[in-house]
Amino acid sequence: MEIKIMKNVLDRNKNKANEVRDLLKQKNVLMVNIISSPGAGKTTLLEKTIGNLKDKFKIAVIEGDISTDRDAQRLKNHGIPIVVINTEGGCHLDSHSISKVLPEFDLDNLDIIFVENVGNLVCPSHFDLGETFKLAVVSITEGDDKPIKYPMLFREARAILLNKLDLIEYTNFNKKVFYNDLNNVNGKIPLFEVSFTKNEGVDQWYNWISSQISSK
Amino acid sequence: MHELKIAEELIGIIKEVAKTENLKKVTKVNIQFGQMIQIVPDIFRCVFEGGVKGTVAKRAQLYLEILPIKVVCKKCRIETELEELLFVCDTCGSNDVELIQGREIIIESIEGEKQQETVSRKKQAVCS
Repeated sequence: MEIKIMKNVLDRNKNKANEVRDLLKQKNVLMVNIISSPGAGKTTLLEKTIGNLKDKFKIAVIEGDISTDRDAQRLKNHGIPIVVINTEGGCHLDSHSISKVLPEFDLDNLDIIFVENVGNLVCPSHFDLGETFKLAVVSITEGDDKPIKYPMLFREARAILLNKLDLIEYTNFNKKVFYNDLNNVNGKIPLFEVSFTKNEGVDQWYNWISSQISSK
Repeated sequence: MHELKIAEELIGIIKEVAKTENLKKVTKVNIQFGQMIQIVPDIFRCVFEGGVKGTVAKRAQLYLEILPIKVVCKKCRIETELEELLFVCDTCGSNDVELIQGREIIIESIEGEKQQETVSRKKQAVCS
């Protein structure tokens, strides 16, 4: 006998994500889910962005890491609340793990939570964490083919950071190919060309993220 | 390897439905994936087969359907099925399109065999 089900397999994750989203909305806290390959510069982006914004906004970080707390150690000097989620081999965070750690923050006293997802361009894109929006980070050294290979992330993200622009002359990264593919996948997405280690192009990003926080 | 987590959730749903419907075994599972999910069918089958060992679905056949990406144009409202990853309206050429199919991870149905009525078995036991 056949039993019709017609159910989203990730419903359990989606329902918990909606609970997280409702709570954050009620507390007026923005949550940004940062997704990139390993080594694209997520932690450096956070180090620099927190340094720039921490006098204006109350910031917290959830660090998703496969097995260490090294990324969290790098952010410690900023004196902001940080919680580490070790996925113990898991290739992405999910809404249940986020929901479990939220009580560790004083949500009434926060403007924004940055979530550094596990470095991976595929899996994290499929798991809603209850974030306000996803931010895609891609770096010059990864090559120019990322938007066409991982369309889900580039369709779903609200903005893109193209990092390590200072290294472009040492690679065969073709900006024309990158922008053409990106335009085919998502022609309307804001993109910031930056080098966080050299502090190049970062002001536009700081202005954009500040405006997102201010208009929440 | 999002295949692993998806297979875990799928097996959880199958077990739950099998229990509610009083199935002694699940013989077939029909699942649909949107093309955007980028599932690798062989990997998914492999993790599914590993996950169902020792469960009511241990011999279930997995039927996996990939749904193509479809968008609707926000300007002319006409639907386009994408043959390549070009999120552009086929009719008017606008890139202001909304994804309407391609993100699905849906368990459509399962097939199985019901448990025999335990009440009648118990009665038989008493009679004999």
